[in-house]
Amino acid sequence: MTVDALSSVCNLGVLDSLSEASISEILQSWNSFCLITETIVKGDDTNLATSYSKFQSYVSSLCKYGLRSLVEEHFLLSLQDMLEKHCAPRFWSNFDAYNNVPDPETDDGNMHEDEVELLLCKALEGISSEKQYQEKCILMLVNSLLLCQENDTSIGHPFDMEKIFFSKYRLIVSSVLMTTMPRQFTAINMFIEILHWYFKGRLEELSTIMAGDYEDNNESQDNNQPSNMDIDGAYDQKKTLENKLVRNIGMVVHNLRNLGFTSMTEDAYASTIFLLLKAKVYDLAGDDYRTSVLESIKGWIQAVPLQFLHALLDYLGDFMSYLSPESTKSPLASTPSSCYQKSGKPSEGIIRWQLRLEYFAYETLQDLRIAKLFEIIVDYPDSAPAIEDLKQCLEYTGQHSKLVDSFISALRYRLLTAGASTNDILHQYVSTIKALRTIDPAGVFLEAVGEPIRDYLRGRKDTIKCIVTMLTDGTGGNNSGPGNGDSLLEELNRDEENQESNSLDDDINTDDKQTWIDIQRWEPDPVEADPLKGSRYRRKVDVLGMIVSIIGSKDQLINEYRVMLAEKLLNKTDYDIDTEIRTLELLKIHFGESSMQKCEIMLNDLIDSKRTNTNVKATINQLSQTGAESREHGASFDILGATIISSNFWPPIQDEDVKIPEHVDQLLSDYAKRFHEIKTPRKLLWKKNLGTVKLELEFEGKTLQFTVTPVHASIIMQFQDQKSWTSKNLAAAIGVPVDTLQRRMNFWISKGIVAESAGGDSNDHLYTLVDDMADGGKSITNNEVSMADDDAETSVASVEDQLRQEMAVYEKFITAMLTNVGSMKLDRIHNSLKIFCATPPVYDKSIQQLQSFLSGLVAEEKLELRDGTYYIKKNNKL
Amino acid sequence: MLSVMYRWHAVASWTWDAHDETCGICRMAFDGCCTDCKLPGDDCPLIWGACNHAFHLHCILKWVNSQTSQAHCPMCRREWQFKE
Ligand SMILES: [Zn+2]
Ligand SMILES: [Zn+2]
Ligand SMILES: [Zn+2]
Repeated sequence: MTVDALSSVCNLGVLDSLSEASISEILQSWNSFCLITETIVKGDDTNLATSYSKFQSYVSSLCKYGLRSLVEEHFLLSLQDMLEKHCAPRFWSNFDAYNNVPDPETDDGNMHEDEVELLLCKALEGISSEKQYQEKCILMLVNSLLLCQENDTSIGHPFDMEKIFFSKYRLIVSSVLMTTMPRQFTAINMFIEILHWYFKGRLEELSTIMAGDYEDNNESQDNNQPSNMDIDGAYDQKKTLENKLVRNIGMVVHNLRNLGFTSMTEDAYASTIFLLLKAKVYDLAGDDYRTSVLESIKGWIQAVPLQFLHALLDYLGDFMSYLSPESTKSPLASTPSSCYQKSGKPSEGIIRWQLRLEYFAYETLQDLRIAKLFEIIVDYPDSAPAIEDLKQCLEYTGQHSKLVDSFISALRYRLLTAGASTNDILHQYVSTIKALRTIDPAGVFLEAVGEPIRDYLRGRKDTIKCIVTMLTDGTGGNNSGPGNGDSLLEELNRDEENQESNSLDDDINTDDKQTWIDIQRWEPDPVEADPLKGSRYRRKVDVLGMIVSIIGSKDQLINEYRVMLAEKLLNKTDYDIDTEIRTLELLKIHFGESSMQKCEIMLNDLIDSKRTNTNVKATINQLSQTGAESREHGASFDILGATIISSNFWPPIQDEDVKIPEHVDQLLSDYAKRFHEIKTPRKLLWKKNLGTVKLELEFEGKTLQFTVTPVHASIIMQFQDQKSWTSKNLAAAIGVPVDTLQRRMNFWISKGIVAESAGGDSNDHLYTLVDDMADGGKSITNNEVSMADDDAETSVASVEDQLRQEMAVYEKFITAMLTNVGSMKLDRIHNSLKIFCATPPVYDKSIQQLQSFLSGLVAEEKLELRDGTYYIKKNNKL
Repeated sequence: MLSVMYRWHAVASWTWDAHDETCGICRMAFDGCCTDCKLPGDDCPLIWGACNHAFHLHCILKWVNSQTSQAHCPMCRREWQFKE
């Protein structure tokens, strides 16, 4: 620094020319200046007025001697001293006294809310009025200095001087407050918490006021633009309340900012807004998945926090138009004076706030929905609105992997457990596919979510059966879905038709596709995705394919269906197969005509049977009319019907010998004779244990109806001529083993038709017809039709039984291997069988078939399965 | 005393009652159908030759038509004649 420069600052040159008189004048003026400054700084407005002229004269006399900088420095130091010693401690002591601030995040202690508001306002008012007084003091100094301006050219423009002083002063205020803030952690924390509490209280108040406003707007279908005013009393009243509240908050924010707490304040109301938003999302979303809440949340963001911020920033902008804040690090402060400009266009700051709030809301809702996704899917499709919300959230946040991880663990915990029925698991699997394909049309993460379910289902024995029932039977099973009697196939088919008719709209909707492409970035594209094909040829989620993939091959599924179909057809008495024809058509569409060939022949057999049945009976009746043989039986043919099957195309059917009543037997051979005559050289082979008999049992004055198997019918008809039978004799009469008879007999015993008592021989039972049905028996008074479904024995060999027979040859081999090796995994057993059974009997089964066979062996306790490894079961009961 | 009224719906399978199980030409079951047919029974009947060998009608007709001169039974090489 040069001497010139130094002298220009301190005017040291003046000292040389000072006379003694001057020195004493300076000393006197300085002392007086110091005294009056002290009075002013410690005083009030009255001191200010009375001291003004004296103060001015001391200042100008000191300035005359070039001591301006000394004056300024001393004055500011006095103000600072006052702040440090009195104002700031007084301000902080307000909060010292307040020891027990409740946690703003827990809602206990609402009673303190008003206290907090009062306390904060009082503290702020106190220090602000002190600050205002000091600002007046500064203005007085500025004015005094301006009067000396003619003598001192170093003073700039009057406005500049004022600005420089105020900015210096503001720095002093905030640094004093910061340095005097109580050191204890709790005190600082308490202050911040008080701010939180304050903003929470005000915002909730505002939210209540605006909630009414927002609902009104919703009802009148307006969008919630703040400029959209219905001028009515209620609205005005609300507006006034709202304005008052915003002014109150604005004042507090303004005071806090002026004291240098800008970022602390912003943090406080920002975090309060986010907390409130979170609570609002939780409140709106709740456990109701049947309505969409996203729009309400967005509406609320517009109506409450954005309105609040808008009004607040407007208020601050107006208030501080002459003193723009220095700190502009937050988006809020960047353009505080114009949040909504005259055009109504929101400012950049507000838009940034909106984006922050919406992202937060999307993420919060998404996390909520993901956590409850399992329940939502159980509720699907009623919960479709929640799924749609989730879809939009994920498109915004791109956090799809969160969904996958969370859902898989929910599945493992909730669904894939021993307690869940296979049907329930399957229905949840299908619902999952249906629900998630909305979110994930390409099925990228559906694949990941589905895998654990498929794995689990493959280990269950009844999976195939349940799948076939679900696909083809709209009535049976526990159809937990809304499937108004429709089979899944029917539903899939309808969906497909709908999709085709909507495909035109789909092409127009390119925005959605773009969005989809964008969000696909969250994970590498599926391997199958052909980049050349782009979005236009996205693969669709194939529900049926995902179901078949549980089983492994469609052939197994078709086999199972064939067995179930056979069972159903063999129990029909009316040849009514409309439902089965429809199902077959659907199966043909999905699996190809040739795969369904055998099933088609089975259905055709029923159509043929109906025709043949009519023909046979017609020719028999003709014969009886011409007076030929068996006139006595002629009329009886009305009670006979027959289903004639092409057994080569049906699954293996269990033959069981039974002696049916002679009268019926005679009818059957007559029937077969006629058949042979009509269809020479074809012949009929009766399967007498199969079929259905509708019975009407007549006791004295009482009729009971039953639908039973031929064996059941044959048994009860034996009681027409003989009231009591020993089990041995009856078994011989029916031509079945005694244990079979006993099992069948249980049906009639359970119906109260026959009573069982011990016979003479300990192995023999005595069956007696219950005579007095009127008051005895099992009180069957109605005319109900009871189905004899007492045992699960079916006439058709199940796919499992067939497989078991075919696999039996390998059982020894598998046991030998496991005994030698100790333990083996499924694929290893499979591969070994392929290698070692290359000569007849050649092993030609799929790995799923092997697994199904092995799980049978596990069920029989021959093998043990632990962690995917098979062992020989120890302590095998031999 | 009990008296029983009933309607009896019985089940039977049909057979051509040929002595062999499969057709010597197409190797398919007689009670099935030939390779050209979709439905067995009336739609794909059996026919016997004078030699008492049976074939699917469609199979033997194809066979007979494919022969340039007199056709012979594919099983016994005797001159093919339809059984009266
Ligand atoms: Zn043939
Ligand atoms: Zn044919
Ligand atoms: Zn021959």
